[in-house]
Amino acid sequence: MPEIRDLLEKRLKILLSCLLGSMLFLLAGLYYCQIYQGDKYVRLAYNNRLRLIRFTAPRGEIFDRNGVPLAVNETTFSIMGYPMDLNTPEKLEKFSTVLIRHGIPMTVSNLEQIIKKQRQAPYRVMRLVPNLTMPQMADLAADADFPLELFPLSVWRRTYPAGAMAANVLGYVAEISEEELKAHAENGYLGGDLIGKAGIERSYEKFLRGEAGEEAIEVDARGRRVRTLDSHPAIKGEDLHLTLDMGVQKQAGELLKNYRGALVAMDVRTGAILALASSPTYDNNPLAWGVSGQEWRRIAENPSRPMMNRAISGIYPPASTFKAFMSISALEEDVITSSTTFNCAGALRVANRSFRCWRHSGHGPENVLTALQHSCDVFFYQVGLRMGIERLIKWGRRFQLGQLTGVDLPGEQPGVIAGPEWKQRRFRESWYQGDTVNYSIGQGYILMTPLQIARVYAAIANGGKLVTPHLCALSYQKPRDLHLTPEKLALVQKGLEYVVSRGTGSRAGRFGVTVAGKTGTAQNAHGPDHALFVGYAPAEAPRYVAAAVIEAGEHGSSVASPMVGALLANMLSHPAGQDQEKMVTEDGSTTKQNEDVSKAHH
Amino acid sequence: MESQSISLIKEDIAFLDRPMIGCVLVLVLWGIVCIYSAGAGSLGQGGELAVKQTLWLFLGCLALIVVMIAGHNRLLDAAYFIYGLTLLILLFTPFLAPKVKGAQSWIPIAGFRFQPSELAKISLILMMSKFLSRYPPLTFRTFLAGLGVMAVPVLLVLLQPDAGSALVYVVISLGMLLAAGAPLRYLGGLIGAGAAFLPFVILFGLREYQRMRLLVFIDPMRDPLGAGYNVIQSRIAVGSGGFWGKGFMMGMQSKLRFLPEPHTDFIFSVCSEEFGFVGDVLLLILFAVLFCRIIGAGARSRDPRCRIFVAGVAMWIWVQMFESIGMSIGLMPVTGLPLPFLSYGGSALLSLFIVLGLVESIYIENNKFRSVIHALS
Repeated sequence: MPEIRDLLEKRLKILLSCLLGSMLFLLAGLYYCQIYQGDKYVRLAYNNRLRLIRFTAPRGEIFDRNGVPLAVNETTFSIMGYPMDLNTPEKLEKFSTVLIRHGIPMTVSNLEQIIKKQRQAPYRVMRLVPNLTMPQMADLAADADFPLELFPLSVWRRTYPAGAMAANVLGYVAEISEEELKAHAENGYLGGDLIGKAGIERSYEKFLRGEAGEEAIEVDARGRRVRTLDSHPAIKGEDLHLTLDMGVQKQAGELLKNYRGALVAMDVRTGAILALASSPTYDNNPLAWGVSGQEWRRIAENPSRPMMNRAISGIYPPASTFKAFMSISALEEDVITSSTTFNCAGALRVANRSFRCWRHSGHGPENVLTALQHSCDVFFYQVGLRMGIERLIKWGRRFQLGQLTGVDLPGEQPGVIAGPEWKQRRFRESWYQGDTVNYSIGQGYILMTPLQIARVYAAIANGGKLVTPHLCALSYQKPRDLHLTPEKLALVQKGLEYVVSRGTGSRAGRFGVTVAGKTGTAQNAHGPDHALFVGYAPAEAPRYVAAAVIEAGEHGSSVASPMVGALLANMLSHPAGQDQEKMVTEDGSTTKQNEDVSKAHH
Repeated sequence: MESQSISLIKEDIAFLDRPMIGCVLVLVLWGIVCIYSAGAGSLGQGGELAVKQTLWLFLGCLALIVVMIAGHNRLLDAAYFIYGLTLLILLFTPFLAPKVKGAQSWIPIAGFRFQPSELAKISLILMMSKFLSRYPPLTFRTFLAGLGVMAVPVLLVLLQPDAGSALVYVVISLGMLLAAGAPLRYLGGLIGAGAAFLPFVILFGLREYQRMRLLVFIDPMRDPLGAGYNVIQSRIAVGSGGFWGKGFMMGMQSKLRFLPEPHTDFIFSVCSEEFGFVGDVLLLILFAVLFCRIIGAGARSRDPRCRIFVAGVAMWIWVQMFESIGMSIGLMPVTGLPLPFLSYGGSALLSLFIVLGLVESIYIENNKFRSVIHALS
């Protein structure tokens, strides 16, 4: 053993001397860099001869499902310069006169402000004048007084051909803010970069963004380029193909034109969204090009809130559209059966309060089928009382009400399914039976987004699978099976068919396709009632679901149901509808496509 | 009883290796100064980061004392168990950890983000010292077995994928094999084989960005701005520091957020820009003293496990220091390894203090033993 002990001792000594030796090597490197200054970059930076330029990458473009461009890039010019070349007021004044001579109203104080905002290091390039067209730029560069130290740089700018039509889906890009810079400190953003501020532009920022290019150049004493030291080209971001169908989206936008509200349409089996319209809307083009504070306020502070995407952020009482959910959960809980009948006398007295049916004369005896068809309130009051609030909330959770649907857009609202605990917390009041009664016709402490309503109906249409709504296949998720009994589901589906074929929603059935759905009229404390309709088609083999919520639209049957009917008919007749069929004929084929896409991104 | 154990702790603390603790404290405090300065730029959170790091320092000291009391013997005895447990954690990390910057290596526990690959360094060192002292790598078979012990965690972190940690594990293990007396021809052969395989690894085994970083290192003109942009900025920062440096809070490169991650990966550039060549020399002296103390603690021990153990600890600190400083002046490729003791980061600091607790425990045992011998003679 003593040999090995000696060996170990020797080895430790060797190791220590290696470590210390390597540190001398580091020290030599540091000496070279700091004292001897042999480093090319250090020398150039010291002599003010190094310039670093950053090129923004063209952003990935966005297309609809048929390849219609929704967000594209256009070339514009910016005038760039370095802080060290603009260090005297005279230089700025000279530049300003040139600009003003060519019709660009920029004063010295404007320029000073721009420089102050972007200045990072003397040799780091800044953008002095953005958004110039080719003729403007050529005109400027030809001016004899144009400062030689400045130079034009072509820049990609975002435009949205569909404009207001898809603004609530696409969102827009704009210059990164101070807060965003801090939040994204790790992702290599710099001041002046563009970033997705809303919609798809924001949720897929990572994919769309691309990689900025850089160039290091050596300049002479007057700031003119001597040689390129190093360069690295910009890499374009990845293109996105959405599930959106611009034809359907356009139609939805036109249907909503004179109303406030939302209209969504999606594939019942995959959750792929074909249309997601919100009205009023806004034009995202000026926002992407940069608007003045005044213009911005005009859009952002508009009382009808055009920038709010009502399809995912507007929360409304589901009203009678909730009755399909009530029916399936009561059937599943065996609270009612297909033959359970309640008599509707026009009102129901619960704890000294009278709850009316919308038809004051009453419907007489109603079973679940006819109650859906007539939208009988009293029948569902009875169902709600038998279920009890706890079971209602349990089923609400199962359908993920009061939770985000996970759609790939920012700003989604979860809605509310409030139970006794919530009421206690919020109002310090206990839960009354009357609250449950209200609940069972989708009023009171229950609020849903139009997308959530569509999602519940997609699950009823597709045999009990809760889909994840999405606008891009990258966010596709396998639907979650709710394990509903097929016969009970078929009963609810039948009731919804009756609504359109012979009940309150007949106006949805006048477009040549068989629709099943439900009307709704949501009480609105602030004015006229909201009108709702949600339906799917074809009723016998459901493909698409669509939901409309029209603020202050009075009755669901008159305003909202024809919108949904027209939209569903269009989708089924549309050639894209056929494509979609091919895509999802075998279960899982969309999943495969999705995997391919995500692979391509890695 | 209680007072007795407290007096035992007091006794232990009295035997502490003061130069080593002193070096470490100066390094960490210096690091906090640099973190404050690095974060004070457009990040605007210098104070916040410095306070957090100070809290981690206190937590680290606490951990050091706890580990020291638990003692290296106990942990070395349990080395196989700890190693096995760590491998399990590493195996499950990809499932537990949310993706941060493309690499899955953090597990959030009770609000803390904890990095299993840091902890695995400790258990790898414990395991290797126990294993290599039991089966000295003097024959080819035992040498291969020692490599096997290293290979498992290396493969697991490569899956995360965390190439930086894998590199650290390999260097630690090679150093420990050397310290454990492995024939030099085996080690030479291994490094030679590794060098021969390197082109294949670069071509097939690396991700695009990793390949680029390596190629940039080999040929800086290839794409210096793409992958080497950080390096240019860092070189300008270090180089502009000059002999005396620009002074505390005067560094431009870090203030203007030119350097990526100035408070973590590029903390040395911040330090070097503000404190200059003089600061660098001082920093390297502190590290040199630290290495001498760590290896000295093992060299005096009669337990071969301890001798191999300190080699692992020294190699760990060394490889990260060498890589981090080398990277900031373009001598080494960019890997994103933090500079030990100085870089911002709780997990890293904590695990360093834990191994130093073990080194202290080894040191104290020798010291006590010697004082007993001394008293007897």
